[in-house]
Amino acid sequence: MSLLRLENVTKRFGGLLAVDNITAEISHGEMMAIVGPNGAGKTTLFNLINGVFFPDEGKIWFEDVDVTRYPAYRRAHLGIGRTFQIPRPFASATVRENIAIGAMFGAAGSEISVDQAMEMADRYIGLIGISSHRDKPAGGLTPIEKKMMEIARALAMKPRLLLMDEAMAGMNPKDIDWMVDFIKRIRGEEGIAIVCLVEHIMRAVAGLAERVLVMHQGAKLVDEPTKAALSDPRVIEVYLGVPPGEADA
Amino acid sequence: MKGASRYLPAIPVLLAYAALFGYGLIFPGQWQLVAQLAFYCALGQAFNLFMGMTGYVDFGYVAFLGIGTYGMAISISGLADKGLGLGVIVIGLILSVVFAVLLSLAVGAVALRLRGAYFAIATIGVNEGFRYLVEGARIWNGSEGIIFSRQLRDAVGQEAAMALSTFWADVMVFGVAVIATVLTIVYMRGKIGYALAALRMDEDAAKVMGINVTRFKIIAFITSAALAGALGATAWAVKLTYVFPADVFAIHYTVEAIIIVLLGGAGTLLGPIVGGLIYGVSKYYLAVYIPGFQLLVFAPVIIVVIVMFPEGTVGMIKRKCAGTAFAKYIL
Amino acid sequence: MILEQLAGNLFQGVVLGTVYGMATMGLSLIFGVLKVVNVGHGAFIMVGAFTSFAVFEYLGLSPVFAVPVAFGIGMALGMIFYYSAIRRLLKGPELASLLATFSFGVILEEAVKQLFTSDFRGFNWDLGKIDMGFTVLPYAKVVACLGSIIVALLLYLWFNRTRAGMAMRSVVEDSVGARVCGVNVDWEYALSFSLGIGLTVASGVLLTMFISVGIHPYMGGEYTLKAFVIAVLGGLASPYGAFFGGLVFGLLENGSYVFFAQIQGLEPFAMTRFFSFLILLLILLLRPTGLLKAK
Repeated sequence: MSLLRLENVTKRFGGLLAVDNITAEISHGEMMAIVGPNGAGKTTLFNLINGVFFPDEGKIWFEDVDVTRYPAYRRAHLGIGRTFQIPRPFASATVRENIAIGAMFGAAGSEISVDQAMEMADRYIGLIGISSHRDKPAGGLTPIEKKMMEIARALAMKPRLLLMDEAMAGMNPKDIDWMVDFIKRIRGEEGIAIVCLVEHIMRAVAGLAERVLVMHQGAKLVDEPTKAALSDPRVIEVYLGVPPGEADA
Repeated sequence: MKGASRYLPAIPVLLAYAALFGYGLIFPGQWQLVAQLAFYCALGQAFNLFMGMTGYVDFGYVAFLGIGTYGMAISISGLADKGLGLGVIVIGLILSVVFAVLLSLAVGAVALRLRGAYFAIATIGVNEGFRYLVEGARIWNGSEGIIFSRQLRDAVGQEAAMALSTFWADVMVFGVAVIATVLTIVYMRGKIGYALAALRMDEDAAKVMGINVTRFKIIAFITSAALAGALGATAWAVKLTYVFPADVFAIHYTVEAIIIVLLGGAGTLLGPIVGGLIYGVSKYYLAVYIPGFQLLVFAPVIIVVIVMFPEGTVGMIKRKCAGTAFAKYIL
Repeated sequence: MILEQLAGNLFQGVVLGTVYGMATMGLSLIFGVLKVVNVGHGAFIMVGAFTSFAVFEYLGLSPVFAVPVAFGIGMALGMIFYYSAIRRLLKGPELASLLATFSFGVILEEAVKQLFTSDFRGFNWDLGKIDMGFTVLPYAKVVACLGSIIVALLLYLWFNRTRAGMAMRSVVEDSVGARVCGVNVDWEYALSFSLGIGLTVASGVLLTMFISVGIHPYMGGEYTLKAFVIAVLGGLASPYGAFFGGLVFGLLENGSYVFFAQIQGLEPFAMTRFFSFLILLLILLLRPTGLLKAK
């Protein structure tokens, strides 16, 4: 049984074909990256997996459950967690409350009380290192701090599939390395089956992903183990515009 | 914050109600004003449960008060001669809450699937629509309404009827206010409170976080409606012993509810009572000095509050007291 | 007999419908450009109705002259309301602008009440009637109907043929892009809002031709409801949709009146109003974007 299976998933917005007939499979515990130029449809694909909107064609399976028409909150209960490209904190709530909300309504939410959720929040705050901001309103944090908070919040949901949308955008190399380590660590410790990245930052992709799915204009270009994908001539052409051997210098 | 200490903020509110009640007992001449203030606080508390906590405005809110009034009216006028005594009041309350809940389910089924502006549009006509249904289909006597003072006397006796209409109806209004307060804090401190706050701040993100926003909106909506039904049953039906559709479906009361909640601080526990007191007292004195001008004064106040003090009085107090010993008591 | 009555009623419904349509164009315009729902819509119509009354009573002029006066008043009110409140609330939660427009409505109602008392007012502008066989149509209503059509055409021309109108359209499509092209978005918002209000107030003048019972400060409520039904019928953001929605609504309203009048024990007048509310809920339930394709 695979963790996530996409079959011929297609999404149109008016005349724009945002996601074009994508078929892919992710196994438990796999670390996969989805990369592609801007406008390739990566975030839309995430939105489809997540339940923000439904595909026009195709099916989505989560652990053999057909979730194609499940609303977002039901997918969250099944174990799909998500961070956003531009963080969306609950601005007037404190950092602690934000993360607790993730715990309260996530996959394990029905069994835990408000107090227990707060305790879980404290743990994740410590884990990700934003303890000094615990009781501040989330809206007042810097963008990087908001990203960290979002990750903690998504983790508190106890997801089995974590979709991280450009989690490392705007970070400096040192922080990126820290983040790569962090993700590896939580994947092992938290038993999160998979962390699925959408990244421009090849440093992160190379450090983390076992497999890479490259998207281009909504369609799947390649879907291969990392090393193969990154040296695939089609990929290089899409990113650099020129096949190897013809580039100058 | 664990255990009982999380319910501390209820204390100032309950104390305030007790003080208001006590004041009315000590100065019986002021009882009418006290009753009026209690009504406004209860109205605010009930309305806040939905509008304050979800951020959605139900412009047809008064319909729940209206249908609650009818619930009580029907019980009294219909069961007066069955020898139930005060039982007609109890049945009336049950009926009014049931009616309000049914109406809220009917309205909610359509309106609660809609976002922000569309929700407002769906509710803007509820009070008009329902009033015209009652008048048009001549339900419950249509536009002629029901006058049931005689039936009330028949049911409980002359003295009891008098006592009910002049005192005990208002006591029941206090009761509604207290129940509304308790429900509000229970919700705010429970998971539902966090769910509502989340959906108020960012509904789409809330869904992604696993919050079934429709379910929580419905719970808040029904609770708020039920309280309104009880309020109509007590403050209007038992007190006045008559009901006319044009009176009880007047959008005027929704305006007042909005003013009270905004003035006090939407989404706070203490807000409605603060707003209710400010509004009630101001209105009383305005009526003395410049009768007929009240709404003309208050409507711009709404705008000023929205533009300059969107958090309302209690919201500001909360902010100023953050980190002090008072913070535990202010919600 | 019934058929003749029905035909007459439906015809009257279309005539009334054009004015309803025009009365709703302002609502749709404001929502289309600013994404603000003017919940106080009916109160502005009421202001137009009273303008018509005042012009007739105190200046002795026919309502035809009241239309531009009302439009001017509407534009002025729109500017005041925009700059005092709406502007600052555009970026905030939807709740805020809803409450603001609602409060504007209340302010207008109370102000008019202070000026004119809450008594019903009426005036009689009798130009004679035209007998069409199956129904009788007062010339006053013909004037109102034609006036509405002319206004709708003018609006169309303005949007599509003038620079100012096209600037406004650009803001709807892409406010950031418009800004980059040198359009003063804030001014366009102010202008759109005021234009919408101006249209609404002006329509109040025309609507008085159809009100036989007299006008009073709190008459707006039922028109707010009707306007929303029409706007939702036609697609909330489209002024042209609103116009056609008005026609449909006029037909439905009058048709339903005949229907309810046949049933014993019902008061057709009130039932028609309830029916309009039912239509509103049905459309919101089934096709919130309106029966026409969104523009």
